[in-house]
Amino acid sequence: MVFNSFNFVVFIIPVFLLYWLVFKKSAVYQNILLLGASLFFYAFADWRFLILLVTCILINFLLGLRINSESNERKQQVYLYLGVIFNVGLLLYYKYFNFFLEGFYDMLNAFGVTSSHTALSILLPLGISFFTFQNLGYLLDVYNEEIEPNSNVLEFSLFVAFFPKILSGPIERASQFIPQIKTKRDFSYDTTVDGLRQILWGLFAKVVIAENCAALADPIFNSYQEQSSSALVFGAFFYAIQLYADFSGYSNMAIGVSKLFGIQLMRNFATPFFSTNIADFWRKWHISLTTWMMDYVFTPLSFTLRRQQKLGLIVAIVTTFVLVGLWHGANWTFIVYGLFHGMYFIPLVYSGSMNTSNAIAQGAWFPSIKESVKMVMLFILVMFTDILFRADNLTMAFDYLQRVFSWSLFSIPWEFLGSTTLFTSLFILFFFGVEWINREKKHDFEVRNYPLLIRWGFYIFLFVLILFFGKTAETFIYFQF
Amino acid sequence: MEVSFIKEKIAGVLTSILEHDNFEMHDELTAKDVDGWDSLSHMMIITKIEEEFSIRFKLRDLNKLKNMGSLVSVIQGKI
Repeated sequence: MVFNSFNFVVFIIPVFLLYWLVFKKSAVYQNILLLGASLFFYAFADWRFLILLVTCILINFLLGLRINSESNERKQQVYLYLGVIFNVGLLLYYKYFNFFLEGFYDMLNAFGVTSSHTALSILLPLGISFFTFQNLGYLLDVYNEEIEPNSNVLEFSLFVAFFPKILSGPIERASQFIPQIKTKRDFSYDTTVDGLRQILWGLFAKVVIAENCAALADPIFNSYQEQSSSALVFGAFFYAIQLYADFSGYSNMAIGVSKLFGIQLMRNFATPFFSTNIADFWRKWHISLTTWMMDYVFTPLSFTLRRQQKLGLIVAIVTTFVLVGLWHGANWTFIVYGLFHGMYFIPLVYSGSMNTSNAIAQGAWFPSIKESVKMVMLFILVMFTDILFRADNLTMAFDYLQRVFSWSLFSIPWEFLGSTTLFTSLFILFFFGVEWINREKKHDFEVRNYPLLIRWGFYIFLFVLILFFGKTAETFIYFQF
Repeated sequence: MEVSFIKEKIAGVLTSILEHDNFEMHDELTAKDVDGWDSLSHMMIITKIEEEFSIRFKLRDLNKLKNMGSLVSVIQGKI
C-alpha cells in the first residue's frame, strides 16, 4: 500500500493510536508493535516475499554477530565475504539475472555461436535494492569496527523491516537508527506535527507536482518520434521535475510517517536543484544512496588507487557512478546514466573544486547572476541525463537526444501549451519557491516558526491544491528499483 | 617516535599538499576544519604520510581516522 492511499490511512491510524496509548510502556512493546505492523505492511504489498525478508534479516543478524565474535581477522573476512556474497547474490539473482544472461548470449552470438534462450520470469521483491544495501552496510560497519553488532533480534529486525522505509528507503545506517529504538520513545506533539507537515508536503509533491508533470511528459515520451525538438525539450523538462518530485515527495512522506512514531530517518533530498555544480547536486540528491556509495564503494576504491593520484580518483568516481546507475536497474540506460554523471565530475577534479560546497545566496533573497546561470546549466545537464532514466532502452534515449538538436528547437510547441501546462508551471514555481525559502532548514517544509495565520494558510492552500489538482497514482517511480 | 615529532611531520605534509598552514594541530582537529582537505587531498595526504613514515595503511585504519588524535595513534601503532 502506498502512502497516498486510503488503505494506508486505515492502517496507520490504529497503529499510531496503539503505539502511543497501549504499547507505550517500554521500548520492547513499542518495537514489537512496529515490527508486527511492518511485517503486515510488507506482506500486504506482497506476502510471497515475506519469507525472503525474514530469511534476510536472520542471516544478516547472525553474520553480524559472527564477524564480531571471531578474533582472527582472516575468519572475520570469511564471514564478511559470505555476507557480501549472500546479499549481492540476492540482488544479482532477482534484479540482474536476465540482464546478464542476455549479455552472455549476445556475446556468444558475437563469437558466432548461435543459441537461443528464454528469459526467466523473476518477480522483483519489493524494496530489495534498499534493504540489501542496508544490510551490506551493516555488515561492513561491523567488520570495520565502526559499530558493535546488534545482539537483539527484535531491534535488528525492526531496523531492516521498519515499514516507512522498507519499500523505497531512505537506506538507513544502523549507527543512526538502532540507538533510537533502544529506549522508550515519548510522545512529542512538536515532532508529530512536524511529521504531518512533512507528509503533507510530500503528498503535494507527489500527487500535484509529479503526477501533473507526468501527464505532460508521458505523451511526449510515448510518441517522441513525431514531436518537434522544442516539444522534446518540453517533455524532458517536465520529466526531470516529475522524477524529483516523485522521489523527494516519497522520501518526505516516509520521513514524516516515521516521525509520527518518534523515529528520525535520514534526509534523502536537500533541494538538489539549488546547486552550482554536479558534486554539490549529488550531495543533495538521494543522499542515503550517495553517502552509502561514498562510504562503501568510493572510499575503498580511491584508497586502493591512491598512488595514481587524479587518474585514480577519476576511475574511482566513474566506477562509483556507474554502480549508482546500475543500482537502479538492469538496463544499459542506467549504466550510461551513471557514466555521464561520473564524467561530469572530471572537470571538477581537475579544477580542484569538487568539494567546495558554497551555500547559494547566503543571507540574500535571490541568487547572484553567476549562481543562477550555474544552476540553470546544471539543471540542463541533469535534465538530459534524465532522458536515459525515462527511456526504455539506449536506442530510444539517444534517438530522443539526437532529435532535440534540430531547427525545430526554436519553434513553439503550441499543442502542449494549454491550461494544464499553465497550472502545472505555476505549481512548480510555488513548489520551488517554498523549497527556496526553506533551503537552509532541516526539511523542505519546515514552517514551524511561521506565524499561525501563514502556517494555516499554507496547509489549507496545499489541501485545496491536492483536492482539486491532485492525481491519484498507485505507484512511485522508485518502487521498481 | 615522539608524539610532538609525529605531529610536526604531519603538519609538514598538510602544508605541502594543501599549500597553506591555516590550521592548528590539536587532537580534535578534523578534515572539515581545514580548508581544502577534501576527498582528493585526503588520499594525497594519506599517501604522503605513508611515504614520510615508511608505513602502509589498511582500509580498516582509514575508517578509524576520526581526527588528528586518532591519526597520530594509528601512525604510532605502525612505526
